[in-house]
Amino acid sequence: MSSEEALKKLYDAIFAQDVEAASKAANDCVAAGLDPLKALEAASKAMTDLGNLFERGEVFLPQVVVAADAMKAAAQVLLSKLPTKPSKAGRVLIGTVEGDVHDVGKGIVSVLLDAAGFEVIDIGRDVPTKVFVEKVKELKPNIVGCSALMTVTRVGQKAVIDALAKEGIRDQVKVMVGGGATTGVWAEEIGADAWGEDGPDSVRKAKKLLGITE
Amino acid sequence: MDYLTRMGDGRPVRMSKEQIKADIEAGTKDAAEKAHVPELSGAEQEHLLEIITDPNRLVAVEPGREVVLTHDVGPLKVMADQSNSGVSIPCSREQAMCIYEKAFSADTAELGHIDYSFKPVKPIITQEQSVLQNVLHMTILPIFYGAMPNLGLYYAPDGPFPEPIGLIKDRKIGEAKESMENAAHRFVEDLEYITVRLYEVGLDALNIDTTGAGGDADFYASLTATEKIKKECPYLCVEMGMAGEFILGFHTELKYQGVKLAGLWPHQQASLAEKAGVDIFGPVVNTKPSLSFPLNIARAVTLVKHCVKESKIPIHVNMGMGVGGIPMYETPPVDAVTRASKAMVEIAEVDGL
Repeated sequence: MSSEEALKKLYDAIFAQDVEAASKAANDCVAAGLDPLKALEAASKAMTDLGNLFERGEVFLPQVVVAADAMKAAAQVLLSKLPTKPSKAGRVLIGTVEGDVHDVGKGIVSVLLDAAGFEVIDIGRDVPTKVFVEKVKELKPNIVGCSALMTVTRVGQKAVIDALAKEGIRDQVKVMVGGGATTGVWAEEIGADAWGEDGPDSVRKAKKLLGITE
Repeated sequence: MDYLTRMGDGRPVRMSKEQIKADIEAGTKDAAEKAHVPELSGAEQEHLLEIITDPNRLVAVEPGREVVLTHDVGPLKVMADQSNSGVSIPCSREQAMCIYEKAFSADTAELGHIDYSFKPVKPIITQEQSVLQNVLHMTILPIFYGAMPNLGLYYAPDGPFPEPIGLIKDRKIGEAKESMENAAHRFVEDLEYITVRLYEVGLDALNIDTTGAGGDADFYASLTATEKIKKECPYLCVEMGMAGEFILGFHTELKYQGVKLAGLWPHQQASLAEKAGVDIFGPVVNTKPSLSFPLNIARAVTLVKHCVKESKIPIHVNMGMGVGGIPMYETPPVDAVTRASKAMVEIAEVDGL
């Protein structure tokens, strides 16, 4: 099998959300003498292309999750050929702020972050500000994500940021906000580090905050 | 010269005519590409530009082009506090319905429960029947009963079935699908139970509001429930209002009359709603808070115009905070509300708002 064929098979397997085929294609890449990093690039491109289709509503959450598993299966093979072992992209603590029970959007962001290699700790909906602070102290995430759907509950995002500052731990964690009632201007106004417009944008911003290149 | 308009979060912004024109073009193009529908024509874009740049604070349609208004959230806009989108006037639901008819000159009014989800109505159905009976005696306008399918209430921690997004995250996709199907079936049973009892009292119409908020299973449940309800309550008008512009695919395999539900856009949703027996369809186009009003309204009108064109049943587009091009702001600015409404009537040619 030529290098090009092996790379195409790997891309196609991940794009088709076929975990077994992705693992086999990764082994074929190794057998074809390909640089594992080059094969990982092809695998990542399949995930990026699926992510674009997800943004357009042509691919859905379960498919992205299975594709991420296919990506992980391929990565396991390819990374074993590298001298250094992989680590998680970062730890994200995520929840919907106090007074807001909407969690569909937060759930989507949570799944997509997980699929992108982050360790995600989802603390649920209607989470009291003090719980956000306690969990940040206890779990020491790289990023804390605060979701709010309503204009009347988004003030809870500011409350979390203020509480982190009051406890003297604001500079130890990046704060991302998102949800239907939020904007980039709002995020700036309340002193958040980033605003996620939707699921894929939240993943991009989380990577950017932690200096991870796409 | 520049014009005062809005961002999608309601902030005032001044834009030149060229900037507004460019955003209208971008908005219609985005909608057309995503939903595979035609862009607004040059003349329609020009008309939208005229509406947006009208120097008056409020704009309106020409006499004779007025459309019917239906309302969601029942009497809560009068009675509930601001976090429930109301103005917190202390009164009963019966009084609130009279205010709709006699003070607002509303075309229709909607009764609803404070939770505004169907599930909690079931155990208090006799209370709802009693209030409905009073309202029907006190008013002459058509009375809707409205609430949300809100499948979330059928999942843990509020309901009997496991929460599906958590299951998807844990790669238990088969279990997630089963949970969504169970929730959908339970909702169909509940809505049928509730509607038949309200119909017995004399209900004119049912509003299944915010349909699809829980994804394709939510839409499936609402369509299936409508089909059953129309058989049992043949003279009941059923309005279906949507939650978002396209159906989120959490289950991804659910079909209604052979059509896969995940990823459907307003014109496709309306077609299925009609097949299920829906009498009035309320499409939603979500406002993007970080983009301008001209871009948002152009997007919304493009999607809704095609929905109207394809539909044989009346289209009452959802117009309010964060939908229909209207900014996402608790008290939406009236300049944007009237412009968006005029554009929907004159360009998208909706039957109602």
